[in-house]
Amino acid sequence: MAGRRRRLATLWRHAHLALTVLVLLVWSLSGRDLAGVLFLPIWVLATQLIVAGSLEAARLRRRAWLDQYLRDDSPWHGWLRGGAMMVVRHQLLGALLALVLLVKLRLLAPPLWPVVLAGVPGLVVAQDLLRRRLARHVITEHLPAVTRRLVVVPTAGLLALILVVATLWLPQPWLVGLGWEEAILRHFPGDTGGAVLGFFERLVAIAEISQHWTMQNAEERFGLAMPLAMLGWSLLLLTQSTFAWAYVRLLVGAEALRRGGRRHQHEALHVHHEEGPK
Amino acid sequence: MSHAWRPSTGRARLAIANHPWRGWGLSVLVVMVLLLLFEVGHGWLASRSQSPLFRVIVAGESLTLDAGTHADFSRDLSALSTEAEERLQARMRPWLDERLERAFAPLEAAVPDYLDWYFSPVGSYTRLGVALMGDLDAWLDGQLHQRLVEATGLESALAELQADYPRRLASEQQGLADDMAETLQERYAPRQVSSGRESERPIHELDLDGELQKALQDGRDTARWSTAAVGGSGTALLAGRALARRLGASAAAQGSRLALRGLVTRLGTGTLRSLAAGGAASAATAPAGPGALVMGTVTAAVTLAGIAGSEVVLLKVQEALHRPAMESQMRDAIGQTRQRMQASLEASASAGAATLTGQLEAQTPRAEDDKAKPRTYRILGRPGE
Repeated sequence: MAGRRRRLATLWRHAHLALTVLVLLVWSLSGRDLAGVLFLPIWVLATQLIVAGSLEAARLRRRAWLDQYLRDDSPWHGWLRGGAMMVVRHQLLGALLALVLLVKLRLLAPPLWPVVLAGVPGLVVAQDLLRRRLARHVITEHLPAVTRRLVVVPTAGLLALILVVATLWLPQPWLVGLGWEEAILRHFPGDTGGAVLGFFERLVAIAEISQHWTMQNAEERFGLAMPLAMLGWSLLLLTQSTFAWAYVRLLVGAEALRRGGRRHQHEALHVHHEEGPK
Repeated sequence: MSHAWRPSTGRARLAIANHPWRGWGLSVLVVMVLLLLFEVGHGWLASRSQSPLFRVIVAGESLTLDAGTHADFSRDLSALSTEAEERLQARMRPWLDERLERAFAPLEAAVPDYLDWYFSPVGSYTRLGVALMGDLDAWLDGQLHQRLVEATGLESALAELQADYPRRLASEQQGLADDMAETLQERYAPRQVSSGRESERPIHELDLDGELQKALQDGRDTARWSTAAVGGSGTALLAGRALARRLGASAAAQGSRLALRGLVTRLGTGTLRSLAAGGAASAATAPAGPGALVMGTVTAAVTLAGIAGSEVVLLKVQEALHRPAMESQMRDAIGQTRQRMQASLEASASAGAATLTGQLEAQTPRAEDDKAKPRTYRILGRPGE
């Protein structure tokens, strides 16, 4: 009974991640019209999540820098802590990153979805491991934020690597011996919408087809040796899997947004503490 | 997020309380601005991109259409070509009906003559003789063929029809294609792009006249092949043979039964039995042995001679009984053969029309050698390795 309750509690603790991924999954697999209608709210959501994570990381970095170089009593602490400029910059970058992520998810091959979904438990496990490692070294109040900041790179790298390896076995459209225009004409996604989303989908699809066309024809025509061909393919697929980075940042952002209360509490305490001596 | 924490200072509380919603609002704003920018950019790109013009050569005239009109044009073309088969059949049917009528009418007219022969004393006795000798069915087949098919010139008429049909089909197809081209030309000539813009944009050209001619050529080949497939090279000959066999299947099977039944009416049951007993095959196994064989044969001969007088009367009775049924059966068989002939010829026209349709519909994406190539490419785990 207690074990079940604990399991439920664990599930509840990560419900926001599950919810986020579910929303993305449903939207990505939904039809053209529905996806077009829901594009704006989903984009806002994804942007917000990514921004929440990246703002937290940026504030952390900034504070570390300020604490290192500025005197404690300098008013620059207040000015440089990160204000509107930083927020707007991160919002912009986050919006673009979210766009890339969403478009890539729309075009993701169905067999790769399990890998993407498995990223959620992977992230949770990685976070727990990292937190336990860091607990002995990092100040407790900063532990969650530092963990979130550090977990992004290894998790995203691992996820991208798994995606690449999985893609190596996936069938691709046959493009050998076709002209570039013909290849694009033949495999052009016909059912994308008319608006901005459809435009970006077509753009990304064309880019991917071109990459695959280049690599397939190069491999077949020049008879590349296996190691060289594998290197080329891996590089190519790695560039295509960079959306894993945006994806992990989005998940981490969801985490940051949900646990944000505690952060703000800490922040508030911190501010209070700083202002105290004055 | 309504966390209940201890408010420390006013400023901090304000920042905390506002922060999440301010963030969301900002996200909405940023996303909206980006979306707007993209929309504008997209629209600008779409307006700037060279929306292509299409030149279509149809009914000897060159039309310049913009993309939207060209899409309409393609739709109309494909609609026209899907109903091509129906219209081709409608054009062909009167001609085909008339030719088939001409070919089969003498045959139908010859049926009474055949039946006259069948129920004449000469025919009756010949049949009876052949029945006694053995292979009545094959002989009747031969008679049918000789008296009906050959006498009426059905074979030569069908051969002529087979030779004429592809020619007629080709000319009708040509007419149909011309009709299509004219219809399209009439519909789209008024919807052309104004001539001033032609020079500034790239033009995709489609020579519909040429495509139609090519499609027609292919359709003609298909029609020729499938007409040949109706019955090999000598269709008419085979059709004649098949018809004789078909007539035989009804009339000759009936004929052998009738012959036996005729024997029954003419000879009476007892005589028949003695005749059967007198037949060489049954006599050899008869329990009575050689003596009975001699006796049986003698009995049969005597009986046959004895009934000769009443023969003509009995034949009339038999004719009155069976002639109408036989005649209608033969006419049915002829009608069925005719229908089959018509169906197979029309099938070849459909094949031609289907080729035409397929050619016209497949003219934009050319997928000639798709089947020869593998559909998917695998980096690792190819089936062959």
